[in-house]
Amino acid sequence: MYNKINPTHTIGPLSAFFLPQVMQIGIGFLSFQQIITKFSEQDGWLATLISGLSTLFVMWIILRLLENERHFGRPDIFSIHRRIFGPWIGNVLTFILMSHVLLFSFAFLRSYIEILQVWIFPQLNSFTFSIIFCCIVWYIVMGGLRTISGVCLLSFIYLIPLFILSIFIVPHAHYENLMPLFDHTPLSIMRSCYETTHDYLGFELILYFYPFISQPEKARKWAFRGVLTTIYIYTTILLLGIIYFSQGEMQNTIWPTITYWKSVRFPLFEHVDIIAIVILLWVLIPNICLCSWILARGIKFTFPAIKMKHSLIGILVVLITITCMVKNGLQVRTINNIYNGFGFIIIYFYLPLLLFCQWIKKKIGRQSA
Amino acid sequence: MKHFMHLIASITVLIILSGCLPTSVIDDVLIIEAEGVDYIGGNKVIGTVTMPNYVQSSNPGSSGAGLPTTASMIRYLSGTTYDGKSLVDRFQENGQRALRAGKLRVMLFNKGLAKHGLRKQIDLRNRDPEAPREMNLAIVDGSCKKLLTAIDYQTQIPIARYIQDMIEQNNKQNYPESTLESFLYAYYGDYMDPFLPVIRKSGDHLETIGLALFKSDKYVMELPSNKVFIFKMLFQKFDQGVYDFEFASQKHIALKNVHTKVSYKVKNGNSTSPDIYAHVSINAQIIQAYPKSINKTMGPKIEKKIEKHMAAQAEKLVHMLQKKQIDPLQLGQHVRSHTRHFDGKSWYDRYPNAHFHCTVDTTIIQTGISD
Repeated sequence: MYNKINPTHTIGPLSAFFLPQVMQIGIGFLSFQQIITKFSEQDGWLATLISGLSTLFVMWIILRLLENERHFGRPDIFSIHRRIFGPWIGNVLTFILMSHVLLFSFAFLRSYIEILQVWIFPQLNSFTFSIIFCCIVWYIVMGGLRTISGVCLLSFIYLIPLFILSIFIVPHAHYENLMPLFDHTPLSIMRSCYETTHDYLGFELILYFYPFISQPEKARKWAFRGVLTTIYIYTTILLLGIIYFSQGEMQNTIWPTITYWKSVRFPLFEHVDIIAIVILLWVLIPNICLCSWILARGIKFTFPAIKMKHSLIGILVVLITITCMVKNGLQVRTINNIYNGFGFIIIYFYLPLLLFCQWIKKKIGRQSA
Repeated sequence: MKHFMHLIASITVLIILSGCLPTSVIDDVLIIEAEGVDYIGGNKVIGTVTMPNYVQSSNPGSSGAGLPTTASMIRYLSGTTYDGKSLVDRFQENGQRALRAGKLRVMLFNKGLAKHGLRKQIDLRNRDPEAPREMNLAIVDGSCKKLLTAIDYQTQIPIARYIQDMIEQNNKQNYPESTLESFLYAYYGDYMDPFLPVIRKSGDHLETIGLALFKSDKYVMELPSNKVFIFKMLFQKFDQGVYDFEFASQKHIALKNVHTKVSYKVKNGNSTSPDIYAHVSINAQIIQAYPKSINKTMGPKIEKKIEKHMAAQAEKLVHMLQKKQIDPLQLGQHVRSHTRHFDGKSWYDRYPNAHFHCTVDTTIIQTGISD
C-alpha cells in the first residue's frame, strides 16, 4: 500500500537522537544568554532547565501521538491531521504547521547571515550567500532523508570542539555571580522560560519524519536522550555565560557566546570567533536541509501531483526571496520573536490539544462501531 | 552529459558569485598593534597608532634573504581628532596600506583622558568585532605619543609588544589582572569599578608605577606600587607576588607569595552598614630578610606580626576606597551575592558606611637555604 515505506529509505533508530538534537542546537545558543538573563539574571539557568524538562514532556506527547496513529496509517502529522479533521481542515492545519517550519529555516538562515555580516564580512550580500547556500541544500536534500541524517551526524561531531572551547572560560570565572540562588520570582523565571522556547524548538520536527525511522520502539529512548543532551548543553553554556559576564555587560552584548570566543587567544591565531562562526555553518546546513525536505514532503502529501524535486526548487526560491527582503537587525529580531511565540503555542498548546482530539476521535469511533 | 552540464553550471555559478568580497591579505595591510590617546582639552585628542616595523629588527635571517616586504612600511601615525573617534578610520587616509585593528595588543590613555572619562573609548572597543578582547589597556603617566614614538628604548622589538609583555608579566605577579575583558566586566557590571595599570617611560625603558582606580569611567586616584600587593590579595587568588614588610625601621623582610586565597562573608547585606568579612590565607616563603631577623624557630612570631600588619593595611586600603566612593575590589558584588533580595539602589549610599573586617592567615613555609 501507499503507506509502506521502502526500507532502503529508512533511517536507523539512532537518528532519533541526532536529528532532533541537531535541530534544537541552532543559532539561538549564540545569543540566548542575554535574552534569558534579562528577566531572571543569575537564575536564568533555572529557566533553561525547567523549559528543557518541559520539552521532555512534549516529546512524550509527540511520541504518544505518533504511536497511537500507527494503528490507523502512517504515523506522521500529515496523516493525523487528515484523519482527525478531514482532508480540508486537516490540510489547512498542516499548512499552518508547515509555515512554522518555513519560518524556522528562514529565521535561522537570516540570523546566520546577520552574524556573518556583523562579525566577518560586512560587505556580504545576503542574496549571493543564500543562493550558494541553497545550492548546497538542494544537493543534500536530493539525496533523501538518509543523506540529511548523515549531515546531522556530521554536524553533531563538528560542534563538539566548539563546546569544548568553553573550557577556556573557567580561569576567568566569577563564581559569586551565581549567588544568591533562587532570588527571583516565579513569574520572572517563567518569562525567561518563554524566551528559552526559541532555542529548544526543533525537536518537534520528529512529527514529520517519524515514519522513516526503522525500529521505532528502540528510537523512543534515543529521542529522549537527544533532548536531554540539548538540556545539558544549553544549561552549561548559560551557566558559563553567567559566571563569565557581569550582568551589566551581558545586557550590553548581543552575542555573548561569540564575544566570549573572541577573547580566547592562541599564540598563532587571535580570532577563534571567526573560525567558530564558519564552523557554525554546520549548524545551519542540517537545519535548512531537513526543513526543506519536510516542506517538500508536505506539499507532495497535499498535492500528490507535484514531485518533490520540483517543489524543492520552489521552496528554496521562496526562502531566498524572503531572506533578501529582511534588511536589518531589528527585523531579524522581530522574526525571531514571531518564531518563538508561534513555536511556543504549537508545542505547549496545540500538540496537547491534538492528543486530546485524537483521544476523543478514538472514543467516538469506538462508540459508533 | 547531463551530469557534466550540471557540473559546469555549478562551477560557473560559484565563480560568478564568490570572490566578490574584499580581502585583507596579511602582507598587504598595516597591522595596528598599539593605539595611544592623549587628551588635549575641548573634547579633542591626539591619537597615535603604531605598526610593527621589521626594518628595526636585527633578525639575522632577513639580511641574508634581503629585506622583508614590510621594510618600507611606516612605523607610526599621529594626529588630532575628537574623543571617541576610531583611530583606524582617522588614519586610513594617511596609511601606506589599509589599516586593520585585528591584532591590537595595547591601548594607552593618558591621565588627562582618564580624568575626562574613557566612556567613548570603551564603547568603541566594545562595539568593534575586530579588536581582540584579550588586549591590554593602560594609563600613561605622561604622553602616550612620546611613549609610543620614542626610539631610544633598549629593546629592538616593536613597542606594542614591549608594553604588552611588561603588563602581562606584571599581571601574573603583584598586579591584578587587567585586560580589556576585565575592564569591560567591571565597567558595565553593577556595584563595581574598573582599574588599570599605570605605566611611564623612564629614560630608556618603561616601568609600571601603580594602579589607576576609576569611578565608572573616570580616573579617581592612583594606588602606589607598594600597596598593589594588598589590593591584589583582596581581589583574587594568585601565587607569584612579592611583599616587602618593614618590621622595624630600616629592617625589611620580603615575602614571596606561594599561594594566596581570599574568601568573603557578608552579614546584614541590606542594612545601612553591612559587615564584610574578608579572610586571606597566604602561604609564603622568605626570600630576603634582615640578617638574624628570622630563622625556623622565630617563624610563628614573625607570622603574627605580618598578619596583623597586613590586616591593618587591608582595612586601611578599603577605608580609603570607601571614602573615595569607589569599589575596584568588587565588594558590592560580594555583598550582592551573599544577600537575598539585595537592595541595589541604595547600595552606593550604604557602601561608605560598610564595615570591613579583614583577617589574614600567613604561613611561612620556608625561610631559604640558610638559617
